[in-house]
Amino acid sequence: MTEEQKTSVLSVDGLTKDYPGVRAVDNVTFSIQNSVVHCLVGENGAGKSTLVKMLTGALAPTAGAMTVNGKAYVPTSPQEAREGGIATLFQELHVVDELTVLENLTLGMEKSRFGFFVKSDLEDRVTQTLATIEPAIDPAARVSTLSVAQKQIVEIARAASSGANIIIMDEPTAALSEREVERLFTVIRRLRENNVTVIYISHKLDEIFELGDTVTVMRDGKHITTCPLSDVDGRAELIEMMIGRTVFQSYSPRGKIGEKVVLKAEGLNTKLLKNVSFDIKEGEIIGFYGLVGAGKTEVARALFGADSFDGKVTFHGKPGGRTPKEAIAKGIALVPEERRTQGLFTSLTIRENVPVMNLPRVTQNGVFKAEDVRTAAQEFVTQLGIATSSIEKHTEKLSGGNQQKVVLAKCLFSQADLLLLDEPTRGVDVGAKTEIYEIIKDLANEGNAVAVFSSELEEVLGICDRVFLMFDGCLQEEIENGPNVDIAHILNVVTGGQDEDAR
Amino acid sequence: MSSQSKTAEQSVASGAANFLRNYYIYFVLVAIVALLSLANLDQFALFERGNFLNKRNIINILRVSAPILVVAGAFTLLMVSGYIDLSIGSTMGLTAVIYAMLAINGMPFVPAFLLTMLAGAVLGAINGILVVRLNITPVIATLITLSLFKGIALLLVQDGVSAIKSGGGLKMPAWFNDYGRDGVFLKLPAAFWVAVAVTLVLIVVQNRGKLGKYAAATGGNPTAAKLSGINTGRTVFLLYVIVGVTAALAGIARSSFMSLGDPLSGDGMELTAILVVLLGGTAFSGGEGRVLRSFVGALIIMALTVGMLTIVPAYYQTLVIGAALLTAAATNHLVSQKGKVS
Repeated sequence: MTEEQKTSVLSVDGLTKDYPGVRAVDNVTFSIQNSVVHCLVGENGAGKSTLVKMLTGALAPTAGAMTVNGKAYVPTSPQEAREGGIATLFQELHVVDELTVLENLTLGMEKSRFGFFVKSDLEDRVTQTLATIEPAIDPAARVSTLSVAQKQIVEIARAASSGANIIIMDEPTAALSEREVERLFTVIRRLRENNVTVIYISHKLDEIFELGDTVTVMRDGKHITTCPLSDVDGRAELIEMMIGRTVFQSYSPRGKIGEKVVLKAEGLNTKLLKNVSFDIKEGEIIGFYGLVGAGKTEVARALFGADSFDGKVTFHGKPGGRTPKEAIAKGIALVPEERRTQGLFTSLTIRENVPVMNLPRVTQNGVFKAEDVRTAAQEFVTQLGIATSSIEKHTEKLSGGNQQKVVLAKCLFSQADLLLLDEPTRGVDVGAKTEIYEIIKDLANEGNAVAVFSSELEEVLGICDRVFLMFDGCLQEEIENGPNVDIAHILNVVTGGQDEDAR
Repeated sequence: MSSQSKTAEQSVASGAANFLRNYYIYFVLVAIVALLSLANLDQFALFERGNFLNKRNIINILRVSAPILVVAGAFTLLMVSGYIDLSIGSTMGLTAVIYAMLAINGMPFVPAFLLTMLAGAVLGAINGILVVRLNITPVIATLITLSLFKGIALLLVQDGVSAIKSGGGLKMPAWFNDYGRDGVFLKLPAAFWVAVAVTLVLIVVQNRGKLGKYAAATGGNPTAAKLSGINTGRTVFLLYVIVGVTAALAGIARSSFMSLGDPLSGDGMELTAILVVLLGGTAFSGGEGRVLRSFVGALIIMALTVGMLTIVPAYYQTLVIGAALLTAAATNHLVSQKGKVS
């Protein structure tokens, strides 16, 4: 920021959002100056997205006030937000592929008489705006012929020409290549020159230092600081502000890890993954930790055969499965990221869900052996402590934690000896979390190999014996878990930092 | 794929694919007409001896095509918006009955015509309310009204009579036939020209109108449309009303052509309309589709149906139409796959 006095375009005052039992955003107060790139950082769950939802009108604050361009700002929809001056670039693209670039840019702003468009300066204006920020895009092209990065720029141009002078960008580089990121940065800098304020949210700290003028750090729903980035002493200080507290360490070595390698992955490559190699031993729990988009889910899906990949997977000395069906048959089971849509048949009962990954075990000539199914379901309900009145309960009626236990039961019933758990405790309450951790440890103690894919550091450090740190599709580093784990170092690595930056 | 890596070769290929996608339907029409005209119709002709391209034959095809031609455009816009109306056949039947009843009871042409169009608008609005307000899945909502509207039409004609027609002391007025049969220009009846006019208006609506663009936006990316401040509900509602009105125009055309108000006269129309629109290259998933191409699609279907009558036994017809559609759909799919650059 320069010495000249800049005016505040956005300020929030005592902003608070309560959910039942949780205060997601807690009395946050800060303001943003005109024509800057303002970064918003914090760990997963720090309250960034809740704050953004309040700014875009998707959520109403429990308490507090917002002021935009000097006026009180109480949006109830993204459109009202835009009219108030704030446009948002969401992670998913909101362009209409079937229309041309120009038609997209003017969408919803056209001048018309009797339902037919009339000539106005709108088209010239939006074409101009587009040309200012990215002259390479042809306004007459159909949007379906553009790359993701170009579509994003079309959205930015639309936001800029809609009259909004503040544009929120939520992880805009998640789907972009390095070169496209550079181009986006150029666009953002041009916006800044044109008096647009950009609120930039990213997990990638390098981007923040490269692009940002000012930063707001959030932690556990609270506002930690808002200051010029030039006042921040490098990544280390920023990370320190983001973590703050000491991470609770509950890991105790279980000492039962076998010597035998169960699965060996060599040079896995997919669209996102780059040369991923590791192994898992019998009775071991390994963790994959990284931020959203680092490639954890992609590793899990590759091992399970759900996505195609280049590279070699050896499981018990033989090639791994290339389809989920093969993987299950060989003894690999996946607890997927999205429990409701990928893990469970929510309209079926517990009894009906449990056997689906291994029907031959409970059928004879294609007919269910009803008694066996009931016994199996009942056993898992007892073994995993699923809180339900009966095995006939529909799984949609169960709590998140109990649903997750049913998914686990499904995997265990398949008699897998390698369990891939993708975000195993997402959306699960604290009590059930602990129970699931105990189940995972028990499974490992029985000799199963377990891989946990998680974006929660406490989870990974709580139960895993070894942890792989992921960033941008690569395994950056392998860490033996233990009492001396350097948390700041881990956060530095998963946000894209090199070793030397942290110290 | 980034734009830099998009080579000239690819853009030529996608240009060719676009050309194919945009115009293949016209080639199909020409090919069908050519094939049919090559066939020696002398020993089979039902309509007229001689060549298929015979004037009377063409006039006949266009006359019986009026109902499908008049609904095709509106139906296209509705499907572009990602919605569908399965009740158009029943709307046609019911409005045909209403129109015939008004006429047979002495109402003059103009008020009877306008009232029937209004009835179509009301029926369309009912669909719109079910889908937009009550949030019922379009297929289910319009299946419900398919049954409801047909039920009402059957009730209206009751007493063992199968249709509203002259007899029992009441007589269809002399003008009743004129709209669907009498050549007014180029020997073609008003019903056909109304269909042409409606299509022209809808082409303009699609290219220069708010409704056309908003339909594409609603069908292409509803969230983006809403975030741009478009009232997608109102867009869809309006489209249902327009489809209702055109279905009423189709009902009027059909009943005038047949000189009676038959509650079942629109049966199967929904399938024909879907076929015609798909043949015109409209995506079932919404977002894409052109009014003009559906109009040509309707001409193709009618040329096939009627042309077929003249050269092959009637029971082959459905099979051949199915085969033609399969070819069209497959071509369309292949072409649109090639055209995709992502």
